[in-house]
Amino acid sequence: MDRTEAAGLGVSLAGHVALLAVLSAALVTASRAPVTPPAMEVSFVDDVGLTSAAPEPSRQPAAPAQAPEVGPTEDAAPAPAAPAAAPRPAEPAPSPAAPQIAQAQPRPAPPAPAGTARATRRPGLGDLDPRSFGRDPAARSVSPPAAVMSAQAAADIASAISRQVQPCADRQVYPGPGSERIATPIMLSLNRDGSLKGRPRVGAQRGIDDENRRYAQRVADLAVNAFVSCAPLRGLPQELYDVPRGWSNFTMNYRLPG
Amino acid sequence: MSTVRFPVVFAAALLSLSGVAFAQTEPPPGQDEGQLVVDVTGGQRAPLPIAVPYLPTPQETATAAGGTGALGRQVADIVAADLRNSGLFTPIGPGGLHAVSFPQVTAPDFPYFATTGAQNLVQGFVQANGNGSLTVGCYLYDVAAQSELTRQGYVIQPRDWRRAAHRCADTIYSRLTGEGAYFDTRIVYVSETGPARRRIKRLAIMDYDGANHRFLTNGQWTVLTPRFAPNQQTITFMTYQDERPRVMVYELDSGRTRPLVAGPNMTFAPRYSPDSRHIIFSMAVNGNTDVYRIPVAGGTPQRLTNSPGIDTGGSYAPDGGRIVFESDRGGSQQIYMMDADGSNQRRISFGGGGYATPVWSPRGDLIAFTKTGGFRIGVMAPDGSGERILTGGGYAEGPTWAPNGRAVMFTRGASAGELWYVDVASGATRRVPTPLGGSDPAWSPLRP
Repeated sequence: MDRTEAAGLGVSLAGHVALLAVLSAALVTASRAPVTPPAMEVSFVDDVGLTSAAPEPSRQPAAPAQAPEVGPTEDAAPAPAAPAAAPRPAEPAPSPAAPQIAQAQPRPAPPAPAGTARATRRPGLGDLDPRSFGRDPAARSVSPPAAVMSAQAAADIASAISRQVQPCADRQVYPGPGSERIATPIMLSLNRDGSLKGRPRVGAQRGIDDENRRYAQRVADLAVNAFVSCAPLRGLPQELYDVPRGWSNFTMNYRLPG
Repeated sequence: MSTVRFPVVFAAALLSLSGVAFAQTEPPPGQDEGQLVVDVTGGQRAPLPIAVPYLPTPQETATAAGGTGALGRQVADIVAADLRNSGLFTPIGPGGLHAVSFPQVTAPDFPYFATTGAQNLVQGFVQANGNGSLTVGCYLYDVAAQSELTRQGYVIQPRDWRRAAHRCADTIYSRLTGEGAYFDTRIVYVSETGPARRRIKRLAIMDYDGANHRFLTNGQWTVLTPRFAPNQQTITFMTYQDERPRVMVYELDSGRTRPLVAGPNMTFAPRYSPDSRHIIFSMAVNGNTDVYRIPVAGGTPQRLTNSPGIDTGGSYAPDGGRIVFESDRGGSQQIYMMDADGSNQRRISFGGGGYATPVWSPRGDLIAFTKTGGFRIGVMAPDGSGERILTGGGYAEGPTWAPNGRAVMFTRGASAGELWYVDVASGATRRVPTPLGGSDPAWSPLRP
């Protein structure tokens, strides 16, 4: 064996040793049990629909049998603004002189058990489905939501109220230049059926100046008229009526458009 | 407690006149910080629908002006017409509405009137009193709120039943617009008839709506530019009596007329001071025309301007502290301002074309004028800013303010003149009926 062959043999041995070491290390690492996916049960069906037949991935709102879809949606999801835009009912009142607010027929929304309703509509702007108030459509939870006024619920209720009041607000007539700068808060107390408990109370107006001072009283009239013309409110969630920041008492700030 | 905040964007609101937002930065005074807050913005620039049924009478009684039942119908007609004339209301009725019984005057059938589309309701009654007088009751209701907004009662002589109707309309107008009243007023103007070369111009007076019209002069001499004294005791005007233009004062009670200024100089364009004690007018002396002031009872004229141009058409501010007038001292006819003693004269109009006949609003916030380029009526702030043209095509000149400062009457048409008025805020216009042609109207203050 000459010197060159000896060098080649050395290099070869070193390489094999290194290879053996690498393979040994890999073998140690691979000794953990491999994760094997569970077997998926597959059933063959004859009828194929246009909608997916895959099982609902979410565990949220279980027990659909306790929340029938048909019943509660009847009064909870009117067409947006339709209840307010429709003319006042012409059915005979008990007494012509009786205050209209006293004629409001209770319209109890069939209370959907909290946390049991299955969302059939995407909660959002103008959605008057009381089951959707305060629900985060992205949230998935197996526990029923508590009856507290979250920011989301408050925003949904504010949206629902404004949608009902807006048609009547739009009917108010602009008194004159500068009146659009007057902001008028009216404090409202409501019964559970959405009717007014009493005459709205006008708070301190803002934005009054020398030019528009003459219109202040009139704008206060318009603020009250905008609300009472569209009362009683409908479709508000009963469970959020008398909770802190609930809709039993709230303030409506009215302003004419500029 | 923390403030409830609802930062929600309401896209639909941005697409229309109305809008809703839930952004609340701080609660208004008196508002519970822990309460739910809803912001609503909405309204329209359209006439207000208001129901005006006929006024019932508790007992039909014959009066010097007719039966109380007939008067109730006529009062309702006038109230509805006044409100319609303002351009701010769309009266519903009186015809076609259910009859209102006397007990219902204070207990309206709100559900019925809600079906008419009315937002407000006017009811009232006409009742004969034992002493020959009448009581006209006037009630204003909010139909949706089912509440009474105001009520007034007027005890009048039967001959004044129209004034009671105007006052009722004034009450409603003021309550629902926030503006001052103006229906119970009169107009003095120049009634014109005949061909252009032999035009007969007579002084005439009538209610603001054209009723109770009568002539004050017989047409022997041409008359121009009549003006009501704020105290409504006198009228001043210019006449060409004996072919000499000069300012006269007409006493409404006696019917007596006298010249305002003694002497041979030509005098014209008179107008009263707010306290009715002075008249400012223009007088041409040695070929130069300036603005002067003189007591209504007569005396020595005090010169207020002294430029070489023609200074004329002066009009006092409501507080009497300043006078607006027109002058061509700068080469074209423009509007100038000065203090009441003639000091501090300065130009305030700088737009294209000429400006004439400036008149200060009773509110003090605007000056109405005739834009001579095209002859249109406009308004501007007393500092000359915010110029706005109120009338469209067609010849218009000679503005005069309603006592509430919201409407301006003017002459429309260069030949056969007509009287029109325009609501300054809405631009709604209405013609005032006159038996003949009319020009140079002057609106009286509210009648005492």
